[in-house]
Amino acid sequence: MIMGGSGEKPQLIINGKRTDGRVPDELRPIKLEVGTLKNAEGSAYLEWGNNKVLAAVYGPKEAQPKHIADPNRAIIKCRYQMAPFSSLEEHSRSGPNRRAIEISKVTKEVFENVILLDNFPGSEIDIFIEVLQSDGGTRAAGITAAAAAVASSGIPMKDIPYAVSAGKAGDLILLDLNKIEDNYSDADMPVAIAPRNNEVLLLQMDGSMSKEQFDSALQMIKKAGETITKIQRDALEARYR
Amino acid sequence: MKIVLPGDKISDTPVRMENAIVENGKTYATVIGMMDESRGAFIPLESVWYPREGDFIVGIIENSKNNVYTVSMDSPFRGLILPPPRPRFGGRGGRDERFGRHEERREIMHMGDIVSAFVKEVKREADQIILILDRPRRLTGGKLIEVRPSKVPRIIGKESTMLRQLETGTKCTILVGLNGIVWLNGEDVPLAQKAIAKIQEEAHVGGLTERISELLENKGR
Repeated sequence: MIMGGSGEKPQLIINGKRTDGRVPDELRPIKLEVGTLKNAEGSAYLEWGNNKVLAAVYGPKEAQPKHIADPNRAIIKCRYQMAPFSSLEEHSRSGPNRRAIEISKVTKEVFENVILLDNFPGSEIDIFIEVLQSDGGTRAAGITAAAAAVASSGIPMKDIPYAVSAGKAGDLILLDLNKIEDNYSDADMPVAIAPRNNEVLLLQMDGSMSKEQFDSALQMIKKAGETITKIQRDALEARYR
Repeated sequence: MKIVLPGDKISDTPVRMENAIVENGKTYATVIGMMDESRGAFIPLESVWYPREGDFIVGIIENSKNNVYTVSMDSPFRGLILPPPRPRFGGRGGRDERFGRHEERREIMHMGDIVSAFVKEVKREADQIILILDRPRRLTGGKLIEVRPSKVPRIIGKESTMLRQLETGTKCTILVGLNGIVWLNGEDVPLAQKAIAKIQEEAHVGGLTERISELLENKGR
């Protein structure tokens, strides 16, 4: 099956149901496991619908190379990458590409706002996000998994962020877009939020939305966040039961 | 006891404690831990070692330059062992020689040597935090293993009970650095390693002392 490209636009909503049978404000099933990798300080494995994401956290350690170290705080290095076999098309070239560099950057900025960097001047914290299988919304899945990984590592942080996307098909607001919806929807908006104060840490958007549509999308995301936060909490607590 | 995650409120009043931050007059946890409400204590389950004066560490000599040994210890902080201060008996040709030389040390160390020491001073240098180390001791033989810094108090135990139990049970000398490096030397190092791995895994479960003594009695079988 070839998806994407400039083919004819498929119908995203049939009888009020989406292509995978969900209702508009329904999340895909999420499964999270913490402490998957023994060598990492913190790690997590997330299955979010058909997305499969592995996140690992190392550090804090001495920043290398030396000239990138910040004398006042720790720096975060983040690498988001899709495995060459993760997708049905494209992404088949390994190594960082334009998209991966962008997602690494925005993910890094999410964590710069929650990790207490001032405690470790001159050091670095590494966050790795490896997408093993992708089906739309992998940056949100990556941030959600990495947040659980950081929390399990003992690196001090203010909050455990989550991320999820919302979008628009016609006039209908959809939560948690999959690959087909991502490609053919009229808008796509991934958002990362620190749930304690509902601080928005990441907000990107493709396409266009009216102010009302934006508000209701954000509302939907915050409501879904309660579910995602609970999954993260359960996974972290399960390790110590 | 309740499990607390980063961002959870642990007190409605501002309390200054480790692994917590105060925001808007309330205290929030920054790491995963357990809250002992009866004592008002927050015990981290995972944490990163942050050096304090008097901490005991185990590290490896990384470099020796200008009479100063650099110690790497699996953390973002770098340890320095300065030469012993030289007693001043009047000037020598106007040069201010505050420090002695290598040869005046009791022990000469080389790159790769394992060393134990105490943190004498935590100093904030231009680009990172430097630890001035004191009372260095070169360790010969043995084996180094890494442990999670948050589990170190459990490995040592209340008034070193656990550590003593490990040492007698395995006939090993065990030095536990607060930085998360443990040096083992003696008769049954694999058993000690096994026991330490078990302590790390089950640090949060009660009755650990009994299970460890059982493990040591059965020689890990």
